[in-house]
Amino acid sequence: MRSLNLHLKVLITLLVALGVLITAYQIFILGIPVTEDETDDLWNIDARVEFQATPREPVKLQMFVPPLNQDYVSLNESFISNNYGVSVNRVDGNRRVTWSARRASGKQTLYYRLVLTKRYSGEQTPAKGPIFRDSIPVEGPEKIAAEALLAPIRQHSADVETFISETIKRVNNANDDNVKLLLGGDASTVNKAKVVELLLSIAHVPMERVHTIRLQAEVAQSPELWLRSFNGQKWLYFNPESGEQGLPADRLVWWIGDDDLVSLEGGRQAAVSFSLNNSEMNAIRLAKLTDENTDASFLEYSLYGLPLQTQQTFMIMVMIPIGVLVILILRNLGGLQTLGTFTPVLIALAFRETQLGFGIFLFTVITALGLSLRSYLEHLKLQMLPRLSVVLTFVVVLIAAISLFSHKLGLERGLSVALFPMVILTMTIERLSITWEERGGSHAFKVAIGTLFAATIAHLLMSVPELVYFVFTFPAILLILVGFMLAMGRYRGYRLTELFRFKAFLKD
Amino acid sequence: MFGLIKTWKALEAKGIMGINRRNADYVLKYNKRHLYPIVDDKIITKERAIEAGIDVPEMYGVIETEKDIDKLDQIIAGRNDFVIKPAQGAGGDGITVIADRFEDRFKTVSGKIVSHEELEQQISSILSGLYSLGGHRDRALIEYRVTPDTIFKSISYEGVPDIRIIVLMGYPVMAMLRLPTRQSNGKANLHQGAIGVGVDLATGITLRGTWLNNKISKHPDTTNAVDGVQLPNWDGFMKLAAGCYELCGLGYIGVDMVLDQDKGPLILELNARPGLNIQIANDCGLTHRAHAVEARLEELKAKGIQEDAEERVRFSQELFGHIVSKEV
Repeated sequence: MRSLNLHLKVLITLLVALGVLITAYQIFILGIPVTEDETDDLWNIDARVEFQATPREPVKLQMFVPPLNQDYVSLNESFISNNYGVSVNRVDGNRRVTWSARRASGKQTLYYRLVLTKRYSGEQTPAKGPIFRDSIPVEGPEKIAAEALLAPIRQHSADVETFISETIKRVNNANDDNVKLLLGGDASTVNKAKVVELLLSIAHVPMERVHTIRLQAEVAQSPELWLRSFNGQKWLYFNPESGEQGLPADRLVWWIGDDDLVSLEGGRQAAVSFSLNNSEMNAIRLAKLTDENTDASFLEYSLYGLPLQTQQTFMIMVMIPIGVLVILILRNLGGLQTLGTFTPVLIALAFRETQLGFGIFLFTVITALGLSLRSYLEHLKLQMLPRLSVVLTFVVVLIAAISLFSHKLGLERGLSVALFPMVILTMTIERLSITWEERGGSHAFKVAIGTLFAATIAHLLMSVPELVYFVFTFPAILLILVGFMLAMGRYRGYRLTELFRFKAFLKD
Repeated sequence: MFGLIKTWKALEAKGIMGINRRNADYVLKYNKRHLYPIVDDKIITKERAIEAGIDVPEMYGVIETEKDIDKLDQIIAGRNDFVIKPAQGAGGDGITVIADRFEDRFKTVSGKIVSHEELEQQISSILSGLYSLGGHRDRALIEYRVTPDTIFKSISYEGVPDIRIIVLMGYPVMAMLRLPTRQSNGKANLHQGAIGVGVDLATGITLRGTWLNNKISKHPDTTNAVDGVQLPNWDGFMKLAAGCYELCGLGYIGVDMVLDQDKGPLILELNARPGLNIQIANDCGLTHRAHAVEARLEELKAKGIQEDAEERVRFSQELFGHIVSKEV
């Protein structure tokens, strides 16, 4: 007995550990969302390029597109253009699309569309960048102004990071005469960035321009300039206006470097406008989509890999153990009496089709009528099998009648009695009448109420959408359930009803 | 909630056995599934008992098929009273007790007159499985009608009182006298409203009883006190019950017996899942007693001794008997 207990304990521990591990792996390593409500932003970015083509001249337009090696995963990318050849190539960590045509005239419009999301990106490649650069040569008053500015910056900074942000802050101080001189009256961001670069270059700190798009829907925008520098371990991003460090989460790096967004040959007045919109998408569906676009194929061996029809069946099936667990708890811990173990679960499944309220009504009415017919048949002293056959036939007729009446009355609900609930109902009546014969009417009534109660609880639990999603997505949970059920198999404590049944012992 | 925990603790301290414990530690552990038919089928039980020399009501005949019903006359020829029972019936359903003949008809114990055809119809119902567990085909058993000893007259209402003894591995652990009431329609099943009266294992003197999960000390119909009655031939009952372990091989059973006016203690049937209300009747939990028996078994196993029925009865009587009745 003791070895059996040890065996059981080991088995339970193993199952629960396995269940917990697999589920934890799915949640924390694979990042599968825990609830279905978890949605992710799906960004739809359109870049629209317009220009006037010069007649009788080949057109070649190059535009940077996001390099997509960051936290974002592209779900779909398309280049929309008539009569243009399209090629995409990678240059220095940037991606550049080239549209080309032999001949074009008039106003031309090209589209680039990108759908992306910020999840499930693959491994980050270790960043690397330059940590030294030569100074940009400056002469005369500029040199003096630059040096005058750099002296306090050096004093107020400790490392590359603080040095750069201090520099940016100084450059943004419009009252500083040295800054005024260096800016030369042009206080645009581009010019400020240029001055920052100059100052940093004197200190041999390399700096790159980063052009970003803000992921914000329905706002007209143009690429925003950021500065970045490599500190030996990672890239540090700076806002050239405020000196604040760190790229906000809603920025998407479009391209890096000093080049313009578009370069055009055989045309003029190139202009790019961006429009963004976002939609929310069910996280798990999104995971599936990104799955196709990345190498992580973690959903392949989950239930989501099944055809949709089968998935729906499984969504019901994986909940059956939950229902059984409810019955187990109600019976062995609570002491509720039900018709067998599986009948309440089956009734709970039938409630799926009939809805709860109507299901209970139907169950009660048909079972009551079926049982009253049974007790009438008892007077006829029929044998068991013929009597049950009569009862079952009667149930079918009764259900047909209810369906017909409710249909005539315009209640479509009555038609919801499909084949499945009907089979369950007839089975219930049969089992109930056997109970009636064996244990008497009051016991049968008690059992019927217990069954209905258990079925209701099971149904309510089995139709909690969050739970359905959770069990369906993390089926390893069922292993934990099995562990619990095994433990219940050797539970010797009292049932709740027994505490009342044996109350007489406490009276004296 | 707090009250429930207190109840739990108190019940546990008294060693009250719950259904889960009974099933896990006793029924599942000691009762081999394949032996169940021996206790589920009264005919097999009876045959085994006769082989083992244990007293049972005499079997007049068995009717197995519809065609066999013709043999009924032959079986009951020359007998005025007999009992017709389904072999696999539960809860006392389907039992017809004929007390006398009345011209060409029969008279049941309750005085109802039934015709020969009605009797045949009843047997046909039994054969079709009307009363058997799960509705299987069944056999009908015709046997000796037990006449209860007059000792029960004062504390019983109609029907046949019986004595149930819980036997663990051949050791009687608890005993109860079951008395039919008006509410139970003469049946001796506690859940149908019969009362259970605890019995001192050593002396056979009744203790107080239980009725519908309550403790009582008087019979609800006769209002006579149920305690302090000396059951005759008590050691006979105890030996009979202890011997049932060898008879069926099941380690945890409830043995139902009757006391016949002429033939003394007789075994009626065995139950592989005896109910727990016997604890209320005895005002005592089963768990401690069962543990004591299990400890005894361990001890004997270590010594390599096997006790016979008489020794087991003596052990149980010494350990569990001589209860000093508490005054209410």
